[in-house]
Amino acid sequence: MSASTEHGHDDMDAVEDVLTQALNEEIVAGTDRRETVWQRILASRDMALTAVGIGLFVFFAVTVPETFLTSTSLLNMVRNVSLIGIVAAGMAYLMIAGEIDLSVGSTLGILTIVLGVLVSRHGLNVWLAAGIVLALGAVIGAVNGLIVTRLGIPSFIVTLAMLTGYRSATLVLSEQRPWSGSGVGTFFDITGGTIAGRIPWVIVWMLVVMLLASIVLVRSRYGYHVYATGGNLEASRYSGVATGRVKLLAFAFTSFLCGLAAILLFGSLRVAEPSAGTGFEFRVIGAVIVGGVALTGGRGSVYGVFMGTIIIGMITSGLTLLGLSQHYADVATGILIVGVGAMDLLVRRAASRRLGFLDA
Amino acid sequence: MASSFAPDVSPPEYSLEPLLSLKGVSKFYGALRALSQIDFTIQPGEIQALVGDNGAGKSTLVKIISGAHTADEGEIFFKGKPVTIRSPEDSIALGIATVYQDLALVGTRDVAHNLFIGREPTRWGMVDRGKMVAEAHALIDLLNVDIPSVDAQVGKLSGGQRQAIAIGRAVHEGRSILLLDEPTAALGVKESHQMLSLIETLRDKQKAIVIVSHNLLHVFRIADRITVLRGGQLVGSRRKTDTTADEIIRLITGADLL
Repeated sequence: MSASTEHGHDDMDAVEDVLTQALNEEIVAGTDRRETVWQRILASRDMALTAVGIGLFVFFAVTVPETFLTSTSLLNMVRNVSLIGIVAAGMAYLMIAGEIDLSVGSTLGILTIVLGVLVSRHGLNVWLAAGIVLALGAVIGAVNGLIVTRLGIPSFIVTLAMLTGYRSATLVLSEQRPWSGSGVGTFFDITGGTIAGRIPWVIVWMLVVMLLASIVLVRSRYGYHVYATGGNLEASRYSGVATGRVKLLAFAFTSFLCGLAAILLFGSLRVAEPSAGTGFEFRVIGAVIVGGVALTGGRGSVYGVFMGTIIIGMITSGLTLLGLSQHYADVATGILIVGVGAMDLLVRRAASRRLGFLDA
Repeated sequence: MASSFAPDVSPPEYSLEPLLSLKGVSKFYGALRALSQIDFTIQPGEIQALVGDNGAGKSTLVKIISGAHTADEGEIFFKGKPVTIRSPEDSIALGIATVYQDLALVGTRDVAHNLFIGREPTRWGMVDRGKMVAEAHALIDLLNVDIPSVDAQVGKLSGGQRQAIAIGRAVHEGRSILLLDEPTAALGVKESHQMLSLIETLRDKQKAIVIVSHNLLHVFRIADRITVLRGGQLVGSRRKTDTTADEIIRLITGADLL
């Protein structure tokens, strides 16, 4: 302020003094916005999910110990949700990037039928047929992605149309009958078989897919761009992130995983059913939302989605063991989704009240 | 040339070549003349405040430099060479950063990533988090800004901290000209002072800074030069040491005409 003092701005200096005093008082009274370690742990969705998972495990272990707490029962529980987990890993990418694919059930259905028809009616080598199904899956996803990113139609609308379209195509293609495979050979061993007659291969496939998906999402440049795109599309584009390509790849990855799930489904059942994958999208999206991925995009982890998948598996198995059907499990999953949404809102409201503004 | 209303316009004298200069720039919105024959220069290592009443043309001028709008008349020179700025990309390519508080930030990501979005350093195909964190620390130290942690989620930071990150990003990208539109308008007293200190730090690093502000107190604290627009015309450009608040207010309001 020396320059202005020379020029006689006494009034301005006086105002400056008042401001400086106010500033000093604010510094003294200032609140520290640094979070404590405990606040971070409590705020961590992954920690909360792990706690919920352990809680459910203990609940079923206490209520139905003799049937729930056996290795067969637990392996079956994980096996039943393995395909959900595999596709949910891709759906996590999509939803973190701010998009959604409602057609994964129908995509799984049509890819399963394509595999069955190629192998059973056309006698194609099952490995070659599996390769075609994976490639076709990626293409289906890329088409979804192109329509969404190039034409600007919301993914909700595009994939809702695909959900119906692929299901109808499946019925036409399958001639509304199941197509069986031989059920013998290495292909069926490493898809529907077990390791040492005990651990189902599908569980291994799920763990491998989720581990790789997690590493790529957390560590790779592409993963960083997935989070950025979903967190703030405009800012990411402005910063040089190819947001269209990021979304396109996520769509292709999700449908590619539907192809892998179709292969594992065909390998497990040794037959392709036209109804395969009906209601599958609900369980996949349920696992992703229960797993803590924000519907608004930008947040979530593959570990969380893994826990979400296991939680849905425990509810389904546990309720079945308590004598209730799959329908009750779907009702319970629905309640859980709404519950997670409500909790998410409450936590964010509390956080915004604490900080004085609404967190983006 | 600038104005017949203000005969006391004295063009400032500089030994340095201007980084950016606008000559005879005009902008029309239909029949409305938003800017009229503006001559405007940006010098390296100088903080220039752009002041004027609402509708004086400050935003239009900033938008022409940032590429959001295109000038209808006049020429633009960058380091003496004629250039055209038709889009934000053109402006960015010249090393001009327009800092808006929230435009360039992702609230759900941490400070380190926000400083590097779109330019994440990689090592063996994966993001080099260690390098990113180290450079983020270095940048925060360089700018001497108060950021609790490079791991903090940007959405949970205050407006001033977010703006500091947006500015830090522009600096790290090596931009030489920073346009700051009302950098203290949304900030509290303490944060305003921190923001002003940050802007002074940037001048010491030979950045050219243009700030649009309504706050004459802030303008007089940090600006080296004060340029006044009124009714779409540049009515005066003064070194702070050669002027008084009274004169600036007179230029803003046009009181000498009354």
